[in-house]
Amino acid sequence: MEDNKPIDGAEYISLEDAKRLKLPYFEGLAAGYPSPAGDYQHESLDLNEKFVHHPEASYFVRVRGESMVGLGLFDGDICLADRSEEITDGNIVVAFVNGGLTVKQIDLSTKDKGYLRLMPANPNFKPIIIDAYDQFILQGKVTSIHRDTRKY
Amino acid sequence: MYAIIDCDNCYVSCERVFRPDLNGKPVVVLSNNDGCVVARSNEAKALGIKAGLPYYQLKERFPNGEVTVFSSNYELYGDITDRVMSLVRKAAPTFYRYSIDEGFCDLSGMDNYDLKKWGEDLSAYIWKATRMPVSIGIAPTKTLAKMASHYAKKYKGYNHCCFIDTDERRIKALEKYEIEEVWGIGRRYAARLQALGIKTALDFASHADSWVRATLNNVVAIRTWKELNGEDCIPMEDMSKKKSICTSRSFPGMVTDMDALRTSISNFAARCAEKLRKQESVAQTVSVFIDTNHFREDLPQYWNMAEERLLTPTNSTQQIVQTATRCTERIFRQGYHYKRAGVIVMGISPDNGVQTNFIDYDAERHEKMKRLDEALDKINREYGSETIVLGSQQYTKPGGKGKADVFKDSIKHDFRSPCYTTRWSDIPEAT
Repeated sequence: MEDNKPIDGAEYISLEDAKRLKLPYFEGLAAGYPSPAGDYQHESLDLNEKFVHHPEASYFVRVRGESMVGLGLFDGDICLADRSEEITDGNIVVAFVNGGLTVKQIDLSTKDKGYLRLMPANPNFKPIIIDAYDQFILQGKVTSIHRDTRKY
Repeated sequence: MYAIIDCDNCYVSCERVFRPDLNGKPVVVLSNNDGCVVARSNEAKALGIKAGLPYYQLKERFPNGEVTVFSSNYELYGDITDRVMSLVRKAAPTFYRYSIDEGFCDLSGMDNYDLKKWGEDLSAYIWKATRMPVSIGIAPTKTLAKMASHYAKKYKGYNHCCFIDTDERRIKALEKYEIEEVWGIGRRYAARLQALGIKTALDFASHADSWVRATLNNVVAIRTWKELNGEDCIPMEDMSKKKSICTSRSFPGMVTDMDALRTSISNFAARCAEKLRKQESVAQTVSVFIDTNHFREDLPQYWNMAEERLLTPTNSTQQIVQTATRCTERIFRQGYHYKRAGVIVMGISPDNGVQTNFIDYDAERHEKMKRLDEALDKINREYGSETIVLGSQQYTKPGGKGKADVFKDSIKHDFRSPCYTTRWSDIPEAT
């Protein structure tokens, strides 16, 4: 019962009630000759729409270190991880391993032998072998990588 | 049929989303100011930790970190539960969010579905996508659905979804349900019913219509009685029309001077305005209450409340803060030790087609305030809440020297988790 207390004693009103009707905005409506572009009125491109397929299941992770540079994940990059995506052999995944979060390419080819491998994309790093004794909790599949390139 | 979706141990489960290592371990969340335990994991409940246990007592009982403790992080809980509710909204024809951690669906038109399976699948998907465990109850009335969700939570065998689809199941559910747990029956009312020999929901539901009317003569009780007997009589609108928002706090110490009280109230008012804008609505009435500490019988007691009706409904921080300040000035009395205060905004309606009052309405000023609030929200969203506040929201440091404190810094939260999903500075890092 203790969990049923609303935030800060706030009471929610339904989002349906509060939803605002959003209309497209036409500039210079009915002033002079109609714009020939009017018929082609279109929403602008939205990065969220392109990259965030399951917003409720997605979250951002910052990459730390050089272990994945071979696959284009550099220190400081921001990845989008999606918990709802099915994970198959070779995917880049985020996983909670023995107390910490890691991003690696998953190798399921040894699954029959009772272990799997988390593969770095950098020859200076060793694969992480995960067997039944490890704490291993998948946290989603990396679905895109984002970097501010103005620094280059 | 109705479904209720209820997050299991909501706050604790939110804390575990990015700390999966804490699954299966005792975890508690503390109230504002780290005062006492407000949420417990099942493991913490099994250790005998009661809700409301003061933090210092918890520390005495478990000095070696046997229990993981978190300060409340409402920003995180808000975001995680929004995700959960959004998934439910997509899965059902009609959905109403009832509180931070529960919502109702009207399943009319889904007669051809296997509803038990629908509930199990939805719960499994929500767990997969958000890592929030939810229990789902499905029944012909909302009161029975709430009861079903309780069974879904309590017994693993239900696979997170309990469907009261036959009269036989309904009777069985009522039989084992204590009257005070019934939705709509308060603790006080339950005591009255218990005095009449009513111990379970079945005892109550089995009484004749005439007995209930003659003995109880209470609208809510009669409605609950009908609902338990399978008659659907609480309209959906009744549940979504909780049209007020309240922000209130107990002060860490006690407040005696007007300046300090005004600052706190400014902050509560600003929070209310922010919440209004977040849900795209406006309020007509602003009210303020102040209260002394009832446990300090050695001190004089005072309670008062003032409200002001605005000519034009608003969600502007400036306007709501100003109104709340005027209310505070009207009720403040010197010589008392104030322990608690709050701001409530009422008469909430959607922020479109606001009924403007011609005498009061100044279009240019309205537009300016709107732009100011938009800028305020944008900055506070990007750089963390209270990066920018009104001057009246700043606390003066003791002695009047040094940089002023803002609200969030004046609250104790020693064990707060990062806002993993709402602040760029807090997103998880992976090596």
